[in-house]
Amino acid sequence: MQAETEHDRSFTQIVRKPQALVAAARNNVELWANLLIIGWALGFMLWQGVGFAITVGTVFAIWAILSVSLNLVVGFTGLLSVGHVGFFGIGAYTVAILTSDAKYEQLRTEAIPTFGWPFFAALPLGVLLAGIVAIAVGVVFNRFRDDIYVLVSFGFAIISFNVFLNWRNLTRGAFGIHEIPRPAVGSWVLDRELEFLIFALALLGLIMLLSWLIVTSSFGRVLTAIREDEQAIAVFGYRTTHYKLAVWTISAMMAGLAGGLFASWTRFVDPNSFILLESMLLVAIVILGGLATIWGSLLGAMAFVLLEEGMRFLPFLPAIHIGQARLVVLGILLVLLMLFRPQGLVGRYRL
Amino acid sequence: MIAQRPNLNNTLAIALTAAAAVYVGWKISQSPEQAVQFAFNGLSVGAVYALLAIGFTLVYSTVWFFDLYYGAAAAIGAYGVFYLRSQETLGGLYAVNSIVVNVIFAAVTAGVVAWALYESVYPRFRARVDRSVLFGIGGVLAAGTGVYTGFLLTNPKDLHINLSPVIALGFAVLVTWLLYQAYQGVVAARVLQGLVVITGAAAAALGVYFAYLIANAPDAKLYLSWGVSCMLAGVVGLAFYRGLYVYMRARSQSPLIMLVASLGILLAITALTSIVFESTPRPLPEALGNDPWTFAGATIKGFNVFTVGVALVGFLFLLYLLKFTSFGKSVRAIGDDEEVSKVVGINTTTVIAVVFFIGAVYAAMAGLLSGHDTAIQPRMGLLLLLKGWIASVVGGIGNLYGAIVGGFVLGMIEQFGIWDLAGEWRDVISFVLLILFLSFWPKGLLPRK
Amino acid sequence: MRPGAEKIDDPFAIQTEDISKNFGAVRAVRRLSISIPKRGLTSIVGPNGSGKSTLVNLLSGVLPLDGGIVILEGNSLKVLKAHENPSHGLTRTFQEVRLFDQVSVWDNIMVVLTKRGLFPALLERVNPMQRDRARGILENVGLWDKRDALAENLSYGQRKLLEIGRAMAMEANIYLFDEPFAGLFPEMVVKVKEILNRMREQGDTIVFISHNMDIVRELSDHLIVLDSGSLLAEGQVDEVLSQPKVIKAYLGA
Repeated sequence: MQAETEHDRSFTQIVRKPQALVAAARNNVELWANLLIIGWALGFMLWQGVGFAITVGTVFAIWAILSVSLNLVVGFTGLLSVGHVGFFGIGAYTVAILTSDAKYEQLRTEAIPTFGWPFFAALPLGVLLAGIVAIAVGVVFNRFRDDIYVLVSFGFAIISFNVFLNWRNLTRGAFGIHEIPRPAVGSWVLDRELEFLIFALALLGLIMLLSWLIVTSSFGRVLTAIREDEQAIAVFGYRTTHYKLAVWTISAMMAGLAGGLFASWTRFVDPNSFILLESMLLVAIVILGGLATIWGSLLGAMAFVLLEEGMRFLPFLPAIHIGQARLVVLGILLVLLMLFRPQGLVGRYRL
Repeated sequence: MIAQRPNLNNTLAIALTAAAAVYVGWKISQSPEQAVQFAFNGLSVGAVYALLAIGFTLVYSTVWFFDLYYGAAAAIGAYGVFYLRSQETLGGLYAVNSIVVNVIFAAVTAGVVAWALYESVYPRFRARVDRSVLFGIGGVLAAGTGVYTGFLLTNPKDLHINLSPVIALGFAVLVTWLLYQAYQGVVAARVLQGLVVITGAAAAALGVYFAYLIANAPDAKLYLSWGVSCMLAGVVGLAFYRGLYVYMRARSQSPLIMLVASLGILLAITALTSIVFESTPRPLPEALGNDPWTFAGATIKGFNVFTVGVALVGFLFLLYLLKFTSFGKSVRAIGDDEEVSKVVGINTTTVIAVVFFIGAVYAAMAGLLSGHDTAIQPRMGLLLLLKGWIASVVGGIGNLYGAIVGGFVLGMIEQFGIWDLAGEWRDVISFVLLILFLSFWPKGLLPRK
Repeated sequence: MRPGAEKIDDPFAIQTEDISKNFGAVRAVRRLSISIPKRGLTSIVGPNGSGKSTLVNLLSGVLPLDGGIVILEGNSLKVLKAHENPSHGLTRTFQEVRLFDQVSVWDNIMVVLTKRGLFPALLERVNPMQRDRARGILENVGLWDKRDALAENLSYGQRKLLEIGRAMAMEANIYLFDEPFAGLFPEMVVKVKEILNRMREQGDTIVFISHNMDIVRELSDHLIVLDSGSLLAEGQVDEVLSQPKVIKAYLGA
């Protein structure tokens, strides 16, 4: 007697009667979005070979972890946060500072202490630190809603960026931190791109599983209720502030994990990776893919990465402009989505 | 009156204010000269924030959503000046002139002019003149304006010459209209016609003379470019409202949808600016009043005084517009209840479109003033916008007086805040102030009634 | 009815002593003292703006009290918090139906059946017992067929029923219904009446606000009349309705 959603039902219909596919596809944005993006990805892989998939896969995995984590806050709980890049940065910098073995005394500029920890010892600490900061920030943010929430979350992104940039004897400011090692288990270093990709995808799988467990639990149902009417659900005995704080912290820890992964992948971090724009980009990805679905976040991240890669093949677009051109496309997509499909491609929640 | 029960929040708020006052007092007693200097800086920075907050507040209190386009408008204002002046400053080192940009702005301007004619002129002649004739004339006018805009943008070196006919025409029309308003009701209708013809001719002659003066004054180009940039930003703002927000608002009432859509616009325009101009900071040419004056041991540039003046004039102008004109009445009516205003017969679309135009012009002005004071870069818009937003929250959301007070307060606190901290923590100070205000004075300094 | 609730030997489910609430200069509730008896239907009537909804909002902790005491099942409380309602055995509906719109009907009921604590809720999945309860309630209010629809796609009457169902799912002792009959078609009114009567038979305390005097006469055992935030009359329905001041103030006759 499991309550079937309408989506499930149309899906079983298609399986039973394949010709229904054509009828369903005619007006089914979700199906089209899925087919288009997955087809695009497969086509790209066939065209460019597996090497392409390995290079792009890790970028995708990091963006996907971030967008799945942000979707917990934006899509499921209805808190439009534009500050997630802060937690991403906290995770990245923690891992960078703890694992880097660069010898800064030779560089003379902005010497900072280095610890040379192994990655797997630093990562949990980065996640934990992101969580602790999230609790402190969340307690303050809990009382805001809607557009003011957006404003203060902008503030969090800007404050964290300024801390990364200006706390120079911890982060080396604009110089950034070099020589961050790849993860290693004993003597086995995940040095090859394929190994790292598998590691990143495994973490993504873990995050997705965790998110799935959260959103299908009773806790997740309360989150959606908070999104719809916080006061009404409070009347039924839920301490909504605790729920919001909990999901905010969980989400921030996931972003911190993505940050740690990012740091050890690029092997170099500087504040430019954690600017406000990245955060806005992330929000755009989450909304594009679909609010309140985990699969949607994956689709969004995939679409974004493919968009970026696809632009490399546009003859009229110089390579230096790709970074900006993807923002233009994403911005326009955001406007179109808000106009025609406020829940995103496969979303379950309209803003 | 209700007795205020003492609570933790009030006590904390009072303690915070007292601590801030004691700190400032202590700093002033330590070094009065420096205090004056920081106050000057605060005023000039605050003027920019205030200007943004005023435009922001006007728009917010009419349509009740935050339009992030104004960040882009600030960037358009600053980069517009850069675009028009880059060929002649720094030996044309960073000169940019792109046919794509010119065509886009020409098209947008033509579209907006066509819409304005259709909204305001067309209904008056609809009954008397054939549709196709009206549409033909309107189309030619709109296309002409578009071509003219494109022409202005393509030849920025001759801006003062190319713009002078418009100045002559504008001046003549404005003076004639003002005199017409003044005569009306004072003199008889028959005399009025004669008077208007005579004064109109005189005004036209005066306008031509002004145009002649400007056409022979290359120094005026910079200030003309201010006007052109503000107009362009305003026109784009209006176009976004009429071409996009109207439909979006018809579909959904959620302010978040509008916010996210305008976030998309901001993202796209910021990125486009970076593509056209590169994302590295650029200088704007020197404007008036660059020689510092010394006053009470502190120095201040004439330009900063000018900035404060612009903010005050902008505020007074908007105050006049809202309090004493029928347009202002419509704006306030729409802010109170849009549906009812529609029923009462206010053309809400037009009024709101004009409001968006004005808001964007203010944002562009703030952007170019701050651009002259420091350097410009494509990302500046977002940060300026956030400062304007904070200023309007600090002052009291939706209150015009609050906006100007909030802008100056924010500027002052930012400047006094970096006295002991380094200047790079300025943005952090603003946001900490925002969070303090939201926690303790959520309605701001001057709450909207 | 919750087990153990009978033990408390208090004839009143809710008592208030001098509670007040101000919105700026508007005194919505002025030093109001009322008593709502245990079991049976109590209705609150009064002209628009007499403070009926404010009273319900105060009792359910949606608005903070400005002064006074509320006695809920023998506990004197100065501060009521919304999330403590279940521990007082109290639940409510809203005047302007407040469902979780972009959530299925099924989840609208399910969400109040689950554990309240953070960690228990994180670990809890839907179990057969909750499923049966949700099914029972949806069948009770006649929305079982609509269980997969989003709440926002229901008709107004169905939304009202769903909200009543959501309150019933709480299995509280005290139900506060804010205008359960407003805006309903006659068939729906009959349905809601049936539901309320069934709840009364189970021994629950039901408080409802209504403007419809026929329904009030027909259903309620006890009547409270408010006028501009103060108590005008309180007692047996017929007795109260025959008082001249009530007739004058409320019925305007």
